[in-house]
Amino acid sequence: MSEFINENPTVVQKNELPRRKEDDVELCFSGKGSDEAALQRRKALLKIDHCPQSQVLQESELLDRLLSKFTSPESEWDDSETATEESDEPADIIDAQEIYDLIAYISDPEHPLSLGQLSVVNLEDIEVRDSGNKDEMAEVIVYITPTITHCSLATLIGLGIRVRLDRALPQRFRVTILLKAGSHQSENQVNKQLNDKERVAAACENEQLLSVVSKMLSTCQ
Amino acid sequence: MIEDPVASIIPFIANVGINDDKAQEIAIGLSEGVVQRRFKLLDLVVALKEELLSNEASQRQKALHCLSSVLAELPEDQLSKNEVSVVFSFYLSKYEDTQLIKETLNGFSSLAKMRYMSQENTESLVALLTSRYQSGSYLAPVRYYAFETIKNIYLKNEKRLMADNDFADAFVKCYIHVVSGEKDPRNLLISFKLSRQLTSNLKNISKFKEELFDILFCYFPITFKPPKDDPYKISNADLKLALRSAMSANAEFSEDAFGNLIDKLTASSPAVKNDTLLTLKACVDNFGGEALLDNWLPLWNALKFEIIHNNDDSNPILSVGQPEPAGENINNYQEALNVMKSLSYELITFDEKAFEKFFGHIYDELKPNFTHEKDLKQSCSILASIGSANVTAFNRVIENSLPLFLNNTSATAKLKLIIMNLSFFFKAYTEVFNTMDSSDEELRSNKLLTFKDEILMILSKALTGTSKVETTLRTLAVIQFTKMTTMKDFLDKDEVALIVQYLTETILTDDNKNIYCACLEGLKTIGDTHEDTILHVSLMKMLDLLPATGEAISLNNEPIERESVLRVLLDFTTSKHSLVNESLIGISSKLNAIARSEVDSEYCFLLASALFTLMVNNIDSMRESDAILLKEKVEPLLLQLLTGSSKASIDDHTRMMLSDVLFFIDLKLPVAQHQGNLKRYEELFSNKLKIFEKPSHHVFPFVQLLAATNNNCKFEDADLIFEKTIKLVISKHPISEFEKLGYLELLMILSNKWVSEDTIEGLCDWDDLSFSNLEALIWIGKGLIMRNCEMGLLFQDRLADKLSREDIGSFIAKKFEILVTDLVVMGKYKGAPASNNVRFLYKQKYFSEMFPRLLDQHKRTRNLVVKANYLTALSLTAKHIPPKVMEPYMPEFTPILLQALDLPMAEVKVSALKTLKDTVKKHNQLATEHAESLYPALLKLVLPGPFNDVQVRLLSLELLETLAAVVPINYSQPHKNDIIRGLEPVLDDSKRIVRKQCVATRQAFFELGQVPFD
Repeated sequence: MSEFINENPTVVQKNELPRRKEDDVELCFSGKGSDEAALQRRKALLKIDHCPQSQVLQESELLDRLLSKFTSPESEWDDSETATEESDEPADIIDAQEIYDLIAYISDPEHPLSLGQLSVVNLEDIEVRDSGNKDEMAEVIVYITPTITHCSLATLIGLGIRVRLDRALPQRFRVTILLKAGSHQSENQVNKQLNDKERVAAACENEQLLSVVSKMLSTCQ
Repeated sequence: MIEDPVASIIPFIANVGINDDKAQEIAIGLSEGVVQRRFKLLDLVVALKEELLSNEASQRQKALHCLSSVLAELPEDQLSKNEVSVVFSFYLSKYEDTQLIKETLNGFSSLAKMRYMSQENTESLVALLTSRYQSGSYLAPVRYYAFETIKNIYLKNEKRLMADNDFADAFVKCYIHVVSGEKDPRNLLISFKLSRQLTSNLKNISKFKEELFDILFCYFPITFKPPKDDPYKISNADLKLALRSAMSANAEFSEDAFGNLIDKLTASSPAVKNDTLLTLKACVDNFGGEALLDNWLPLWNALKFEIIHNNDDSNPILSVGQPEPAGENINNYQEALNVMKSLSYELITFDEKAFEKFFGHIYDELKPNFTHEKDLKQSCSILASIGSANVTAFNRVIENSLPLFLNNTSATAKLKLIIMNLSFFFKAYTEVFNTMDSSDEELRSNKLLTFKDEILMILSKALTGTSKVETTLRTLAVIQFTKMTTMKDFLDKDEVALIVQYLTETILTDDNKNIYCACLEGLKTIGDTHEDTILHVSLMKMLDLLPATGEAISLNNEPIERESVLRVLLDFTTSKHSLVNESLIGISSKLNAIARSEVDSEYCFLLASALFTLMVNNIDSMRESDAILLKEKVEPLLLQLLTGSSKASIDDHTRMMLSDVLFFIDLKLPVAQHQGNLKRYEELFSNKLKIFEKPSHHVFPFVQLLAATNNNCKFEDADLIFEKTIKLVISKHPISEFEKLGYLELLMILSNKWVSEDTIEGLCDWDDLSFSNLEALIWIGKGLIMRNCEMGLLFQDRLADKLSREDIGSFIAKKFEILVTDLVVMGKYKGAPASNNVRFLYKQKYFSEMFPRLLDQHKRTRNLVVKANYLTALSLTAKHIPPKVMEPYMPEFTPILLQALDLPMAEVKVSALKTLKDTVKKHNQLATEHAESLYPALLKLVLPGPFNDVQVRLLSLELLETLAAVVPINYSQPHKNDIIRGLEPVLDDSKRIVRKQCVATRQAFFELGQVPFD
C-alpha cells in the first residue's frame, strides 16, 4: 500500500474560497444603461448599506429614472439609443477566477464537499490564454490535485470538470485538464483519458455516468 | 320535568346503546327529580325492579345503568346516610352478577364520594375491591370505574387515611391490587396521579415503598402514541409527566429510584435517556439533600459517563449547523448538566459539609483533565453547572476551578481554549446573580471578581494582540466581552467603556463578516443597558472619525474607509432614539461644514444618503419629541445648505436626499405646529427665494416640506401657486430637468392635497400638446388619481385617449408609468395618517379600469405605431402593480407582453420580462401555453443588440431557466437542443454576469429529461 499524501486535506470553508473582490457590487449591478455617475453612486451606497433593496438605493435610482425620462423628450426612440448601447458596455474578460468559479463548486463524488474546499482545484493552477478577440482560439489549462495519489476517482473528477467547462465556455476555447505533476500514480494514463475527445464523448453517452456527473455539478453556483 | 320515574325508565332503556346522549339527558332529568324531591331514589329502584330482575342480562344491564347514571348525576350530599347504606347494599348484592360489573363499579364510584357514605361501608368497599376484584378479567372501560372508585375513596377520606394507619394500610393494599398490571392510558393517568397523592401524603408509605415504586417503575420509560381520534385527548407528555411526578413524590423511593434510573441511563435511545435524565432531575429536586447523601456518588459516576463520553450534540460555539433531528429537540448533554446543578443545589442547601465532600470528589476527578488538556469543555461545563446552584457553590467552584486553566499565554490555541472554558463560568454567573435575588454584599464578595482583571487582560489580548487571521479567536473574544457586560454588577463603568472602545475599534478595522456581526451584536446588546456609554465612547468617536475634508482617515494606524464608518453607524443605531438623533445631528453638522469648505460632491452625497437611510430605517419609531429636537438641530443646517447661494458640492441627488430628510422630520412634528410652519415656508420660498418667478432648484425642499404638512392645514395661496407653477413649467424659461421635476412634483402635491377640482379643470389646457404641458397634466393626474376623485377618472380617460395619437402618443406612453410610480413623499407612514390623500387601493382601482380599456383599444387599432404606444404604456405600468392584483388579468395580458418583447425599447422589454417572470413562476399552465412562442422570442433577446442591454439579456436568460423548471417535459423536450445551441454564442457575451446566468440556464436544459441522480 502506498503512502497517503494529504490524506486529510485541510477543508477550506465555503466562504473563504478565493473570489472576485467586486463580486458583491457587480452582482447587484443591474446595468440598465446607467451612466458612470449612477454606477459610482450605486457602488458607494452599497458600501454603506449592502442590501440591494435598500430604500436609499431605490430613491437614488428613481431620481435617475425620472430624470432620464426628461432627457431629450423630443428625440424619438430610433437613432439616439442605438448609437449609445453597444459601445457603452466595457467587456469583462474570461480570466482564471472565472474558470475557478465555474469548477470550484463542483461536489466531490464521495464527500459532501466541493473541489475548491478540498483544494482539488486551486486558483493558481488554472491558466487562461485568451486574447479577448472573439475570432481567435483561446486556451484553458486546469491542473487538478487529487487528495491521494491512487485516487480512483481522479478520472471522474476530471470528467466532471471537463463536462462543466465544455458546457460553460464558448467553442473557441480549448480545454486541457491535467493532473498536477507527481500527484497521482498513473498520471499519464489519467491525463490521456481526460483529454481524449472520443473517450469523453463516449463517457457522456453513458446515462448512468452522466447522472453521476450531473449530481456533482448540481452544487455549482 | 319528570314527575314519575316509571315513565322515564322506558325511554332511557330504549335509548341506551342507541342514542347515549338522549339517555344521559333522561338520567339528568331523573336526578333533578330526586334533587327536587319529586320522588325518591328508592322509588326509582322500585320502578326498575322488573328490569333488574329480568332473565335477560342486557335488560338487567340497562336497568342498572340507569340507576348508576342517575347516581352519578346526584350532588354528593343528596342522599341521607340511610339511603346511601341501602343503595350500597343493593350494589353489593349485584357484585356477584358478572354481567353487571361495569354498572356496579360505576355505582360504587359515585357512592364512594357521597358525603354520608359510612366508614363501615367504605371499609367494606375497600375490602371488596382488595379481595374480590380481578382486574385481569375485565376490559379497560370496566376497570376505569374501579380506578374512579379508589380515586374517589381517596379524595373523600384523605384526612382519615392520613390519621388512621390501619385504614391506610388497607387502602394502599387495595390500590396496589387494583392498579397492578394496568395498560390503558386513561386508567394509568388516574393511577399515576393517585400514586403521587397518596405517596406524598400518607404516613405508611415506607411499608409499601418497594411495591408502590415497582408499580410505577415497570412503566418507565413510558411511551404512548395516541390513536387518531382519541376521545380522551391524552398525550404522551401527559403520561410522562404524571409518571415522573409520581416517581419523584416521596424520598422513600430514593433507594429504588436512583439505582433503577441509573441503570436506564445506559439505554441507547436518546429519547429514553432524555426521559431518564428529566426524571432523575425531578427525583433529585424532590427527594432533597438527605436522600442524596448516599446516592450522589453513583449518580455522579453515571452522569460523568454521560457528559464526557456521549457528548455528540452540537457545540453551541462551534456548531457546524447540522440539521436538528426532526420533531424532537433533545439535548441530553444539557439535561445531564442540569441534573448536576440540582444535585449541587440540594446538597449545599442541606449540608455544606456534604457539599464539600461532593465537590471535592468531583474536583479531584476532573483536575487531571486540565493538566492533560483532555475533555476540557465537559469538565468546565460540569464545574460551572455545580457552581450555578447558588452563591456559595459558585464561590467555591470559582476559587478552585479558575486557577486550573486561567494563565496568561500568547499561544492562540491556548487562548482559544481558555476563552471557551471561561464562557461556561460566565453563564453560571449569569444564572446565579442575574436571576436570583442576591444581595449587594454577595455580589461584591463573589469570587469571580478576584479574577476580573486577569480575564479582561486575556480577552483584550485575544482581541487586540492577535493577527486578524485568527477570526475564531477574535470572534470568541468579542462574544465573551459582550457576555461580561450583561453580567449583573460585574464590570464597572470604565471597564464597560473600555470594552465598547475595543468593539468599536474592531468593527471599524476588521472586515471579516463574523467579527463584524459579533461586534455589531455586542454594541447593540451593550446599548440596551449602557446607552450612555455607547453614545459617548462609540458613537461620538465614529462621528469624530468622519473626516472634515476629503483626506484619508485611520484608526490606530490602520486606514479605514469613510464608508465603513457610515455603515457601522447605520447598522447599530437602529431604533435607539438617542443614538439615532445624535447620529443625525452629528452627520448633519459634518455635512454642513464639508459642503461649505470642500468640493467633494461624492462625499456629500454619501453623508446625505446616510442621513436619508437613518431616517427611513427609524421613521416608524420616531416620536414627536425626536422630531422637535431634530427640527431645532438638523433642519437649520440642512436648509442652510439647500437654500444658500454658492453650493458647488451639492449635486442633484444630494439635494433630493436632504429634502427627503426634511420631509421626514416635518412628518413627525406635532400637528399643531404645521400651520405655522406652512406660513414660514411660504414666506421663505415664495417671497424670499422667489421660486415662482424663475425656475430654481430651491423648489425641491419646498415640495418635500409641503408634502409633510398635514392635509387639514389651510393653504390659501394654493390655487395661486398652482397656477404660477403651471405657467413656469410650460413657459420657455430655461429650466434644468431636475428643477422641472421639482415643479412637477409640486403640481402633484397641490392637486392631491389642496387645489379644488374646479380650479384644476379651469387651469388645465388639454389642447396644448407641447411636451411640457403634457407632462404637467400627467403629474397633476397622478395627484388626482391617488386621491381617487371624479376628476382623476377624467384625467385618466383623457390621457388614455392621447395614446392614440401618432405624434404625441409615444411620449405619453413612456410617461404613463408615472401615474402609478411610488414616491417617498406619497407614502403612508406610521403616526402621520393625514400627510396626504393617497387612497389605500388606488393602484388596484386604476389598473382594473385602465387595463381592459387599453387592451381593447390596442386590439381595435390597426396602426402599428399606435399599437406600440398601448403596449409600452401597459408593460411599463405592469411593473408598478403588485403581482397579486394582476393575476386575474394575466391570461389576457401574457400575449400582449410577448408582443412588447419585440418593441425597440430596452426599458419596455425589461418591464415585460419582469412581469413575465413573476407570472411564469406562479402560473405554470400559462407558461406551458406560451412556451412555444416564448422560446424563440427569448433566444433573440439573449444576443447583444441595439435594444438588448445587459438587463434584457440577463432577464431573458433567467426567464428561460425558470421555464426549464416549470414547463412539463413533453413540451420542453423538443426545444431542448435548439435552446442549448441557441445559447452557445451567449457564453462569449462580453458581460460576466450574463455569461454566468447563461451557464446556469444551459445547465438547466442539459439536465432536462436526464436520468435523475437520486
